[in-house]
Amino acid sequence: MDSSKKKDSTTVFLLYSFISLLLFSIIVFGILGIYMNRKSKETIYKVGEIYASGMNEQMARHFGNIIQLRFDQVDGITSVVSPEGYDRQSLYEELIYRAQIRGFDSLALCSDQGEFETLSRVPIHPVNPVPFVEALNKGEQRVAMGVDDEGRDLVLFGVRGSYPMKDGEESIGLIAAVPLEYIADFLSLDTGNQLTYYHIIRPDGSFVICNPNTELEDYFEMLQKGYDPATNIEFPEGSLEEFGAALREDKEYATVLSVDGEGRQVYGTPLPYSEWHLVAVMPYGILDEVINNLSSQRMLMTLLACVSVLAMLTGIFYRYFAMMRLQLQELEKARREAIGANRAKSEFLANMSHDIRTPMNAIVGMTAIATAHMDDRKQVQNCLRKITLSSKQLLGLINDILDMSKIESGKLTLTAEQISLKEVVEGIVNIMQPQVQAKKQIFDIHIEDVRTENVWCDGVRLNQILLNLLSNATKYTQEGGFIRLSLSEEESPKGENYVRIHINVKDNGIGMSPDFLNKIYESYSREDGARIHKTEGVGLGMAITKYIVDTMEGTIDVQSELGKGTEFHIVFDFEKVEVMEEDMILPAWKMLVVDDDELLCKTAIGALKSIGIQAEWTLSGEKAIELVNQHRKARDDYQIILLDWKLPGMNGIQVAKEIRRNLGDEIPILLISAYDWSEFETEAREAGISGFISKPLFKSTLFYGLRQYMKDGTEEDETEGHDMDLAGRHILLAEDNELNWEVASELLSDLGLELEWAEDGQICLDKFQKSPEGYYDAILMDLRMPNMTGYEATKAIRELDRPDASSIPIIAMSADAFSDDIQHCYECGMNAHTAKPINVVELARLLKKYLI
Amino acid sequence: MDLRECYVSFGGDYDEVLGRLQREQTVRKFVVKFLDDKSFRMLEESIGNEDYDEALRAVHTLKGICQNLSFVRLYESSSLMTKAFKEGEHKNAVAMMPQLSDIYHQMIHTIQEYIQSEEK
Repeated sequence: MDSSKKKDSTTVFLLYSFISLLLFSIIVFGILGIYMNRKSKETIYKVGEIYASGMNEQMARHFGNIIQLRFDQVDGITSVVSPEGYDRQSLYEELIYRAQIRGFDSLALCSDQGEFETLSRVPIHPVNPVPFVEALNKGEQRVAMGVDDEGRDLVLFGVRGSYPMKDGEESIGLIAAVPLEYIADFLSLDTGNQLTYYHIIRPDGSFVICNPNTELEDYFEMLQKGYDPATNIEFPEGSLEEFGAALREDKEYATVLSVDGEGRQVYGTPLPYSEWHLVAVMPYGILDEVINNLSSQRMLMTLLACVSVLAMLTGIFYRYFAMMRLQLQELEKARREAIGANRAKSEFLANMSHDIRTPMNAIVGMTAIATAHMDDRKQVQNCLRKITLSSKQLLGLINDILDMSKIESGKLTLTAEQISLKEVVEGIVNIMQPQVQAKKQIFDIHIEDVRTENVWCDGVRLNQILLNLLSNATKYTQEGGFIRLSLSEEESPKGENYVRIHINVKDNGIGMSPDFLNKIYESYSREDGARIHKTEGVGLGMAITKYIVDTMEGTIDVQSELGKGTEFHIVFDFEKVEVMEEDMILPAWKMLVVDDDELLCKTAIGALKSIGIQAEWTLSGEKAIELVNQHRKARDDYQIILLDWKLPGMNGIQVAKEIRRNLGDEIPILLISAYDWSEFETEAREAGISGFISKPLFKSTLFYGLRQYMKDGTEEDETEGHDMDLAGRHILLAEDNELNWEVASELLSDLGLELEWAEDGQICLDKFQKSPEGYYDAILMDLRMPNMTGYEATKAIRELDRPDASSIPIIAMSADAFSDDIQHCYECGMNAHTAKPINVVELARLLKKYLI
Repeated sequence: MDLRECYVSFGGDYDEVLGRLQREQTVRKFVVKFLDDKSFRMLEESIGNEDYDEALRAVHTLKGICQNLSFVRLYESSSLMTKAFKEGEHKNAVAMMPQLSDIYHQMIHTIQEYIQSEEK
């Protein structure tokens, strides 16, 4: 509840912050867009102004050029026509002529009084004669407006020139005129279809040349007459006054007006040779359109950018959110796991204190009872037996815990040694038998065609795994239940040198719940519940097993159903031991195998076939007797019969009796059993059983079990070390202690071995080095010696440059039996390790193994 | 006192040693030889010289002899001391010396008594 609430508040926080981020970005992008729009509008207006100013300047220069040209032309008239040499009339004609060819329509003379005398046909008058005449007097070149009597507007050019006037006075200037249109045409002022159009105005605001586009007429009127509120033109405050002042002071002036809401750039430039101003008007309509287009595009792009950034942010945010959620979940999971492990540990402690206390109490209690009944021998014996049992149980518990702590601290190491699967399984069967028998369970062992019996493996650990699985099976299987151990072999994917061994342990016991199956390999877990309350154990066995299997690079699987039983399946890839395989071939006997387990019969037949025996099988004793009798009649007796002890109906012993009755004593009848046969040996011998073969039925078990019954009966008891031909072999024994050396020498001399003593590693190395090649058959090496240890000596010997340096068997003999030490032995190049005290049989076995 | 009694008296497993060495005569020979074994003296000396590597070797050898001859009691204390030396806990190891020494001298004493009783 709490955590979900916490999660909710986190979500809400994230959601709110995300929304705020969203709003913030939208606002920022919006402001940015608007600001950019305004800025760009300003910039474009600025550009417009610059453009207008440039255009006006050009226009003004153009105007100036035209005016200058005209002035020059008028000057030209005065310079070519001199008053001398003409009478007045012809002088006038000459002037008019000259003016006409220069493109002037009208010509006049001006007196210093300002009187005009028109020479051409239509009389002309300046509109504002006073400043004009003044300028003329001063010799300034100045244009002026004028009209003729036909009402046409003219532009007047006046230059100084003295010509006789009609009234006999001398003129001060010659005035030539062109129609106003000329200027307008020249400046293309009245074409309406241009983007920019022009007016020419006087300083008072009145038009000299008015463009057909008269939308700004009001404004110019206002320049003359003052502000008129009835206008539809909007303009910045002060614009009128500033413009008026600029006009009067002959300065440039720029402003923006707005007609019906549409902007106009207005730019006034003084024109040379005149008091006039050129006013350019650039409607912003088109520009505005461009700007609006641009700004809408920008807005769109900004929005798009905004959206994409937001989308990206959302994506990242969502991803991050999901990641965080996942992390939180994992954290939660880890927390729960930690709590679970903790709980398991405390439960384990609780269980353990009970488990440890129970046997401990028993020991204490029994000791007290024994003390009290010191004289009652039977009572004391009973107590001691119980104490032993409890101690063993306690020891088992402690071993498990120590193993687990070793595993948990990562200190468990494996010692790969050569082991025989046969021996391991036989050992296990022997250990398990008392337990199985105590619960009257059926214990079946299947060896399905296992050809590779010798492999490299940590035998102790393999034993531990099997013991754990089997003792669990007996523990959790009711009385009279059934347990089966099967082994089979197949090719290993690891290569030719490996063999894959499958081990199955199956029972029909109480099984496990699916919940428990999930945590079966966890430390300190034990299937709880009342039904198994009385079973002991700490719940470490499976964790240890799993760990060992993993370390051995194997796999373990389990299938289980409550009330139906459990099956464990382990797979290992073992390295094969390269041994010179003895030719396990027996004569081609005819043989009968009787067992109620069909699978066992078939695998036994297979194994027998591989050692050269033709065998038949049957499932019941009755059938077996029938078969034997049939063969007797056909004079084709079986040469050997294998009987299972436990058979449905007649048991093996009864069958044997019956067969003996019919056949006599010649044929060997052997009993196969997974049980300790000492209980029924006497009965069996009496019934005519010749011998026993113990399950599991490995190929070698069958071979050695049956070989004794070969007709000539040779090679009996060959496995016994004493009979082995070790006599005369030279053994170098490195041992620093004299007493130990003597003990070894005493024991090994019995085997007929020739021993030589090396007092330390260095001497051992020297002796070996000086010996002729192949002189020593083996070296027995103590590990801790002065001058040079056994490890160093072995390494040095292995590095010698002689053919037998690498081949001579070196067997370590040491008081240490720690697996680290053993591992070290192998690493240094030793072949095997045997612990002190010296065990003749073990040593003989090892010597035989490496010498033959 | 016979050999079995001697073994029982100094804390040894006579059956085990006999099982391994087969003949009483052999066992007797080695038990007597044990009187001349130098391991214990080496151990004492090297502890005196604080040469712990040498001490470890000596006590380890002694342990080996005990295993071979089934001197159970001496084996236990020599084994403990070996372990302590091996793990570098020299102080602990040296602290075990008096106890080991007691056991050893008792053994020697018992064996000498046994030899004397035989000679009579």
